[in-house]
Amino acid sequence: MITRALVLRPLVHEKLRTVLTVLGIAVGVAVVVAIQLANSSALRAFSESVDAVAGRANYQIVGEAGEISESLLLELQPLWSRGARFAPVIDVEGIIEPSGMPIRLLGVDLLSDLHFREYRYATVLTGSGTAQSAASQYLELFREDSVILPAPFAREQNVAIGDAIALNILGNRRRMVVRGILQAHGPATAFNGSIAICDIATAQKNFSMLGQLSRIDLMLADDDTAAVAQLDRMLPPGVRLERPSRRNERVERMLRAFRVNLFALAGVALLVGMFLVYNTVLISILRRRRDVGILKTLGASPRQIFATFVAEGFLFGLLGSLLGIALGNLLATSILGMVGRTINALYVTSEPQAVTLTPGVIALGIAVGTVLSVLSAIQPAAEAAQIRPASMISAGLQQKITNTRPLVIAAAVLFAAGFAVSRIGPVGGIAVGGYVAVLFVVAAFSLLAPSIVRITARVAGPAASRVFGVVGRLAAASLPASLRRTAIASAALSLATGMMVAVALMVGSFRETVRIWVDQTVSSDLWLRPARNLSNSQTALFPPGFGEEVAKVPFVEAIERIRGRDVLYEDTMIWVGSGEFGVANRFGDLPMVKPRASRDALAAAAARDGVVVSESFSVRFDKDVGDTVQLPVAAGVARFPITGIYRDYSNDRGVVVMDRPLFVRLFRDDRSNTVVVFLKKGVDREQARQQLERMFGPKYGAFAISNAAIRREVMTIFDQTFMITYALLGVAIAVAALGIVNTLAALILERTRELALLRVTGMSLRQLRTMIVLESSLIGLASTVVGVVMGYALSWILIYVINKQSFGWTIEFYTPVALIAASLAVTFLASVVAGVVPAQLAARLNVAAALKSE
Amino acid sequence: MRVSLQDVSHDYGVTESSAAVHVLDRVSLEIASGDFVVLMGASGSGKSTLLNLIGAVDRPTGGRILLGDLETSSLSETELTRLRRHSIGFIFQFFNLIPTLSVFENVAFPLSLASVPRREIDERVTTTLQEVGLEHRRGHYPNELSGGEMQRVAIARAIVHRPALILADEPTGNLDSKSGLGVLDLIRKLHETHRSTIVMATHSDRAAAYGHYIIQIADGRVAR
Repeated sequence: MITRALVLRPLVHEKLRTVLTVLGIAVGVAVVVAIQLANSSALRAFSESVDAVAGRANYQIVGEAGEISESLLLELQPLWSRGARFAPVIDVEGIIEPSGMPIRLLGVDLLSDLHFREYRYATVLTGSGTAQSAASQYLELFREDSVILPAPFAREQNVAIGDAIALNILGNRRRMVVRGILQAHGPATAFNGSIAICDIATAQKNFSMLGQLSRIDLMLADDDTAAVAQLDRMLPPGVRLERPSRRNERVERMLRAFRVNLFALAGVALLVGMFLVYNTVLISILRRRRDVGILKTLGASPRQIFATFVAEGFLFGLLGSLLGIALGNLLATSILGMVGRTINALYVTSEPQAVTLTPGVIALGIAVGTVLSVLSAIQPAAEAAQIRPASMISAGLQQKITNTRPLVIAAAVLFAAGFAVSRIGPVGGIAVGGYVAVLFVVAAFSLLAPSIVRITARVAGPAASRVFGVVGRLAAASLPASLRRTAIASAALSLATGMMVAVALMVGSFRETVRIWVDQTVSSDLWLRPARNLSNSQTALFPPGFGEEVAKVPFVEAIERIRGRDVLYEDTMIWVGSGEFGVANRFGDLPMVKPRASRDALAAAAARDGVVVSESFSVRFDKDVGDTVQLPVAAGVARFPITGIYRDYSNDRGVVVMDRPLFVRLFRDDRSNTVVVFLKKGVDREQARQQLERMFGPKYGAFAISNAAIRREVMTIFDQTFMITYALLGVAIAVAALGIVNTLAALILERTRELALLRVTGMSLRQLRTMIVLESSLIGLASTVVGVVMGYALSWILIYVINKQSFGWTIEFYTPVALIAASLAVTFLASVVAGVVPAQLAARLNVAAALKSE
Repeated sequence: MRVSLQDVSHDYGVTESSAAVHVLDRVSLEIASGDFVVLMGASGSGKSTLLNLIGAVDRPTGGRILLGDLETSSLSETELTRLRRHSIGFIFQFFNLIPTLSVFENVAFPLSLASVPRREIDERVTTTLQEVGLEHRRGHYPNELSGGEMQRVAIARAIVHRPALILADEPTGNLDSKSGLGVLDLIRKLHETHRSTIVMATHSDRAAAYGHYIIQIADGRVAR
């Protein structure tokens, strides 16, 4: 009955309060659920593709530097007698021309591969061109230009059996004929069905993979540890045996920092939501102070009172969680694209399709919402349970914060603790110290809130009374009078503002750093690429000899061929790239961390067969100039001295760059991803661009892109990547504004008698509204000022601790004035608007009734 | 229930900015079981504080209070809660009904705290509501009642668990004279029926006439 009296009935009666609180929690939970759903959908898309392509294979032999030699198959012969099965596989990325759409090419031995993967043919082309399904017609699939497409993909590309399709794979442009259509099953479902399958001989011949394989799939008896051990001994250096799931694990690890950062942002929304629950339960106790006193007088025990208010928190948490899960599911669908784009741009090709709400995610949402709500309710509930009944019943005795000094001292201790933990190094690649420091700083600012509200009222009071007269004076005086509640609302809004400013500072600094970096790095006149989009540039290649042809063009002064590939280093996927150091030194200036001049580092690398590494590689693997790095290459492994560390914001996985001749020699790969062109003096860039495209477009599918377009493209990708960050912050601000509405509404309800008195003594409705909006504006003002200070403190942690430890990037501090001003305006406006609802509430007050009631 | 106070003092909070306020100063008195006692005194004389101390909703800063053989100052918070729940009934000037509970639920509240079975609660609340003449209002909420009715609900709540001690703080202070008389008649009738000890604080002479005897309080001391 206590719960009914203090929680359930008020929950129904005070609809506005209930709705606002539930909504506040729901928003926080929704963000967490959405991020989890979108991320797991992206990861699932990747791992399902890996599983679909792996089929029944339980082991794979892979090259750490890429391809492996076909001759390895013969060396595995001794294992045949043990019942082991092997399938040679070519699995490479490419594009379809002319659309530039990415496609995966799977080359397998079409006959023996049936043991590994299940192919369900829908139709097969016969020699005469009519569709049949007789077994003999399958031979058509082995012709040198045959490919097989999944049925949905063929429909999407508008190709039918017998049609030709242009593929550009590893720099080889080939016109292939669709001679088989597969049902959407098994490998035909991998990569969302953007896959072409052909016989391995066809793949090797057409796409310059003769004698090479991407990997060998194996089926071993699971308990055959002897076979595994034997294989391990047989494999040459740079080639490894692993489970297919290992790839998923690596991708998951690669995305960990990205995911943790998203969750940290969701944490802000949740933290603000927690403030809201704390606020609501506290207000609920303060408003029912008298009822609590009566119930205690009548014999309700402290434990019952405590349980009742904790139950209130739990109830809000539960309702908020359920609503949040539903909202999160909707939100996930809309952020899926953003998350997918980021993962594609920075990590791996994965095309998430739909989000699936699993019991695990539902449990996560409920746990997050209810646990945090209950935690927020504990302190006020305990307080209500402890207070003597007599002091709660007697009118006029309000809970006030009389002495703020202990809070200020506690805040100072938290600041010091925050600084101390921010010096701790990363744990498992995650900036744990940084996140804890953020919590400490937020807690410290929250403890300062009462002092800040009091100071604001004191400072702004005279000004408010000058401008608004007695209404202004009353508004300023009401803030410290109910300090506890106003302080909580202010702390919640400060937190949201602080995070917004911090993220604006971090993203702004990062953007400016990247802009300067791009300006310095992209010093060439034109770029030639085999695909129009930057994110496809890794999947499409120019064949050997392309660069030489470009170099012969009369108006070209010099070219630099860029090539890189994924390489396994310490079980992590890194990028090993190559450029032409001589050309780079002549025309460009690579932004360096160490040594200062890129000239020295590149010259030393070229002279000593060394490498320069990216800053994130150096931070992640703790490598410095003078150290050596051991990498897998085409024939085994090689050691390289590090001659320089350069800045690279295009990739947080770590990059190792070497001079092109060394790369070509060690990786036996003389193709290029991009050819950078430097024009002769006086040549018109745009004309040159058009001319190059005319010369190399038809033959190589080359696009010529100007320096300015590249810079624009980089900044567009940057902005897209951070779009989700801004969206999450908007949510946090919205939740904080809800908090102000909630607090002010409660304050109004509690002050009905006082407000009625003001009305009776002659205050107009307009003045009453002004007073209340002024109150919320003053809270907004205090919160905005504190938010800015908090924002700077938090951005310092974000930039110099969390970013550095998570991604290994050095970011120069920069204040994006317009962005900060805009976010402050938004916060302040939110607080002004938040005063409007309670002001309406106050205006509807029944004066006579309010005065009659005690 | 016998009530005994020995040298009871009570001070109100000392803060940084204000000194302690002495509300009661070494008060001693004896009330025999079944007595209907009236505490009289001007506003601020300490009547309500004395009732709070007897009712164990507050603790004295000095002295001993005995309810029957129990010394309340030595009891834990849990024991005090139990004592209030089972042995004491409260009637307040401002009724102090729980606005979110119906008349029936307000009256049933002390019984549900004492884990009385549901059927028994039904019977006892119904009987008590009949005693105070409000059976027809059982489904109403406090804001739908008149002042006199609200006070009668409060009385029903105070007696429903048959407490040995009933404390009434200005029970007619917020009522018109007709309703006030009705309430006083009711209290006297209930006292005759149940023979609980009643301590009633008032500053109305007419109300005081209902008690067996009067204890005058002035400036925190027993005057007479």
